[in-house]
Amino acid sequence: MAKAESKLDRERRVFIKKVLEGTVAGSLLLVLPMGADGQKIPEQIPGMRDEKYRIAEQKFAFIVDITRCIGCGSCCVADKREFRVPDGHYRTWVERYLKDFDDNVYVDSPNGGLDGYQKPRVDIDVKVRDTFFVPKLCNMCKEAPCVQVCPVGATFTTPDGFVLVDRKHCVGCAYCLQACPYSVRFLNPKSRVAEKCTWCYHRVRKGLLPACVHVCPTGARKFGSLKDENSEVYKILHGPGVLTVLKKEMGTWPALYYKGARREVV
Amino acid sequence: MQSSYNSHVKRIAAGLIVAAVVGFLFTKLLTPESFGVYGHYRADAISEEADREIRHWTNTPCFSCHAYEANLHKNGLHKSISCEFCHGPYTDHVRDGKKIGALPVRKGDDIKTLCLRCHNQAIQARPAKVIKTVTMPEHLFKQRVRLTHLCNQCHHVHAPLKYIKRANEIVGMLEGN
Repeated sequence: MAKAESKLDRERRVFIKKVLEGTVAGSLLLVLPMGADGQKIPEQIPGMRDEKYRIAEQKFAFIVDITRCIGCGSCCVADKREFRVPDGHYRTWVERYLKDFDDNVYVDSPNGGLDGYQKPRVDIDVKVRDTFFVPKLCNMCKEAPCVQVCPVGATFTTPDGFVLVDRKHCVGCAYCLQACPYSVRFLNPKSRVAEKCTWCYHRVRKGLLPACVHVCPTGARKFGSLKDENSEVYKILHGPGVLTVLKKEMGTWPALYYKGARREVV
Repeated sequence: MQSSYNSHVKRIAAGLIVAAVVGFLFTKLLTPESFGVYGHYRADAISEEADREIRHWTNTPCFSCHAYEANLHKNGLHKSISCEFCHGPYTDHVRDGKKIGALPVRKGDDIKTLCLRCHNQAIQARPAKVIKTVTMPEHLFKQRVRLTHLCNQCHHVHAPLKYIKRANEIVGMLEGN
């Protein structure tokens, strides 16, 4: 009898120990959202690590400065590594535009810019009037066509303005791939669900810049909160500079703005 | 058996009620828990996306161990370049405070390809005010070095003008030819 009681006692002790450990570990996780090493990374977007994230009161913008893009493809490489994007698919890519004096436009993007642009275009023989790089990524439309067409509610706009894909809910019908005017979506060949650029939502929520913005060596990609009056994007968007969005006539109201985009850019 | 004059109405009503109950149960069972909190989608998907693994950890953790390179890199012209672009993501190197793998150090022709990703003047689309570009192999001719020279034989990859500035100091030449 005594033996049985002691066993029960032991079990109780083990149980209490486990509960305590769980509580301590759980509360630690809340304090350190990225583990102990995470504290080494300084906050890149101010205010994102505050105690309470008010999801409905946030607004973000992404600005691509075409006049600063050198077409190195760092963004594409970082993006591929951050999300382990399968070969042949691109969440973000860089296009090279070339205009001649007859207003013809030539666009190419070898391997999405992943290997950079090592060679000039040799397949066309025209006098170059203007040439520039255009990085492309999700436009995070306010009126997103992809969200409207999703039959199962697997694509949605979050209260803080990101268009995301519910990986567990998506049935892979690819309707959104056709609906997106900017062709930023693809079907992941492995998981068979729609995938797209998320503006690195997982990084932003932890106060880090999107991977492509972080690695851009020239500052051609800018990202920030519009609720923060000191952020670079806030200052640009409240300044006199000309910003354009892609396919404005489609009424998608993108949160991605381009600086220095020529009218040929689509 | 003779049916009463309104039995068909009763049967239809009963059928409708059964259909409604079954429908209600099915919607209850099949709708995910957090569906509809913010809109016509599963609200939990937001936190699932936010919990994705961060693979690029910025330069700060790199600098905390590699102090020599950090000092060079921070004071060089290449300070805006991320460590992880050339060397690969941090999570392939360190996990839970322990080294799990070596990141590549670029060598040989790989260096040249990497440099010319940005500094190749043959690509006209590069804005001159943003980046200093050179044409190859004219640059090697101009600097009077062998054509087999690699970029990093004169330019330190972390601080491109470090050796060149130092050489100019020693020789007493004016900076930049």
